[in-house]
Amino acid sequence: MKEVLAYPANYWQTMYEIWLFISVIIYLVVFIPAAYFLVKYRYKKGINEKAQHAKESKALEVLWTIIPTIVVIYLATQSFAFYRVQRNAPEGAMEIKVTAFMWGWEFEYPNGKKVFSFFNGVVDPEKNVYLTPEKVNDMFKAYIPAGTPIKVLLTSRDVIHSFYVHPAKVTEDAVPGRITHMWFQVNKEGEYWVFCREYCGTQHSKMAAVLKVVPKEEFEKWLNQGVQTQNITDRQNL
Amino acid sequence: MAAVSYKPYFSAGLKEWIFTTDHKKIGIMYGVTSLIFFLVAGLSALAIRLELYQPGLQYMSEDAYNKALTIHGVLMQFWWAVAIWGSFGNYLLPLMIGARDVAFPRLNALSYWFFFAASVLALITLLPGNHIRMLWTGYPPFSLNDNAGPVAFYALIIHMLGASSLASAINLVVTNLTMRAPGVTLKKMNLFLHSFLAMNVIQILGVPALAGAVTMLLMDKYFQTAFFDPTRGGDPLLYQNLFWFYSHPVVYVMILPAFGLISEMIAVFSRREIFGRTSMIIAIWGIAILGFMVWIHHLFTSGVPDWIRILFSYTTVLIGVPTGIKIFNWVFTLYKGSVRFTTPMLYTLSSIFMFLIGGLTGIPLGLPAFDIGVHDSHFVVAHFHYVLGMALTLAVFGGFHYWYPKFTGRMYNELWAKIALVLVMIGSNLFYFLQFIVGLEGMPRRYADYPAIESWIRLHELQTIGSMILGFGVILAIANLVFSTKIGKKAEDNPWQSPSLEWLIPSPPPPHNFDKIPHMPEDWDPYHYEWLEKQHKKH
Repeated sequence: MKEVLAYPANYWQTMYEIWLFISVIIYLVVFIPAAYFLVKYRYKKGINEKAQHAKESKALEVLWTIIPTIVVIYLATQSFAFYRVQRNAPEGAMEIKVTAFMWGWEFEYPNGKKVFSFFNGVVDPEKNVYLTPEKVNDMFKAYIPAGTPIKVLLTSRDVIHSFYVHPAKVTEDAVPGRITHMWFQVNKEGEYWVFCREYCGTQHSKMAAVLKVVPKEEFEKWLNQGVQTQNITDRQNL
Repeated sequence: MAAVSYKPYFSAGLKEWIFTTDHKKIGIMYGVTSLIFFLVAGLSALAIRLELYQPGLQYMSEDAYNKALTIHGVLMQFWWAVAIWGSFGNYLLPLMIGARDVAFPRLNALSYWFFFAASVLALITLLPGNHIRMLWTGYPPFSLNDNAGPVAFYALIIHMLGASSLASAINLVVTNLTMRAPGVTLKKMNLFLHSFLAMNVIQILGVPALAGAVTMLLMDKYFQTAFFDPTRGGDPLLYQNLFWFYSHPVVYVMILPAFGLISEMIAVFSRREIFGRTSMIIAIWGIAILGFMVWIHHLFTSGVPDWIRILFSYTTVLIGVPTGIKIFNWVFTLYKGSVRFTTPMLYTLSSIFMFLIGGLTGIPLGLPAFDIGVHDSHFVVAHFHYVLGMALTLAVFGGFHYWYPKFTGRMYNELWAKIALVLVMIGSNLFYFLQFIVGLEGMPRRYADYPAIESWIRLHELQTIGSMILGFGVILAIANLVFSTKIGKKAEDNPWQSPSLEWLIPSPPPPHNFDKIPHMPEDWDPYHYEWLEKQHKKH
């Protein structure tokens, strides 16, 4: 497989391209005859004042019932095949637990280390506008090792949220009282957005987090550093 | 027909309007209420667009933005896309079947006044302190949270609307099935009547599910039950299932009548019978039935088991088949026709064009492999604004222009109507097409603010400009319709030369519609334009 920015975004991309290709064809199949008929059969005084008698065509009706049926069943089956991969994390994926709350995210790593990202951590406190990911305080960033599949176990503490990993093109709801799952893998180092995709009140549009994708060694080093608990408890009490 | 001239029905006094049971007056009242709320919803949409013009919060707070979203969603869905059919259905259905009124005229008045009560409640929620900020979906547990606003209002509004819809749906179904004039057989019903029949059946089957869902929500919030509260053993997904069991089929309640209008207009202006009439009717019912089997696609990322997602992805994309049949048949209705590019025809063609794009972009949303990346993104918003926003609104405005001489006895101004259409098409495509792209790039919906990603800013700027052009076009079209009631040219009784029954009586219709209940001859059919020509020759 060629080098891609993130998995399973490649499947999303392929699905998108297949659909786009088919849609453009369907679009033309409808648009071209329509445009042709509109020009050819337009009302012309003395020439085309009356409609001609056109017979119903059973053959045509059957044709445009069967072909679209085949096309959509193919699309759904192709999606089925991709979706299995998009949904099921590869073996050996690192598990992290993400708990959503109004309005922020708690990331818990296998060794118990936690990162909290709050809505006010991603904005400039004076201007109340989004910071660029680089300017967000590292304390609020969830570190992720590059090139490693991550399985996310999701739940919520209050209302329904949705965990959307921007580069990986996957989203899954965080539902209180349930544990849902998803997986992703980012191959290129850098900083990426996570957004909340389910409406959750006042700060919904600021309920973002930053994933900091770093080489594996750097990630290990970061993971084993102590947790800055005092900051977090302060924040939690807010 | 009658030589006696009547005072036009719409010149009645206020008291007569309030106590009327005349289906035409009730239809007009539905239409006016609907249009007023359409303007309020449209203005809130422009406020939303203005806020999204640039990242950051320039014009309103997050809470104000969420209020605007809720207002826009609720009003557009229930007051425009659903209630406007109360207008067309009430006004035209009895005329088309050759009846003097609906089956239960008093119930009909009651339907409107329930709707009016819901409208008053909706206006109260616009007052400070009563704002609802839980969007039209009202998902628990968020809607149980204080941040959501007074849920009781929402539940009562839904109940009022539900009562109104149910009464009106039963009324129109009974009218359609039992009060057709002799000669207007089931086979000779036009597609408008067929689609209104299917739409009202969906209402009767679906509304109870939504009414149940909001009742449970109300009880959870105020009477300490725990249907949806996970901390006390409830399940928030139960609400989503109940809600979408009605609220997905409701999109067909909105779009099926639009299909009916399109079929009427495209046939009359091609001067030939609708192509594949039988398969069109089968398609209408196919959509109505399949429409109840697809609601899980709204829950594709909500934690329902994977196999259910796959199952529903098949049923969802299959709905593309009957809708495809409709589009192909419309295109072939033009074949060998004599196409007149009148204003309503241009609106109709635009509506089909928009529906084609909206329909094609709906298919991938039924594919979990694609939906996983765009669920609750602006892609979804753009999709349903193409189908419900634009295809529906263009069909409605096409209908306004087409039946304008029937409603008012006058003609609209051709030039302004066409200018408005051009503006609407430029604005809406600039707006919604770019919304697809920003959605593909990941922009989540219902965001008051967004990070300063270069391409997002550019796309949002252009979208806002598009939305302003669109808004201007819509206002122009409405202004034309309003002013033409006073200054429009007098219209003929049957300016489009249609043999459909509503056109065979004077325009505007006399208060009792038909002097005699018409007996339609064997060779009559609402789409047989030659029949009308033969009648002219006879006289």
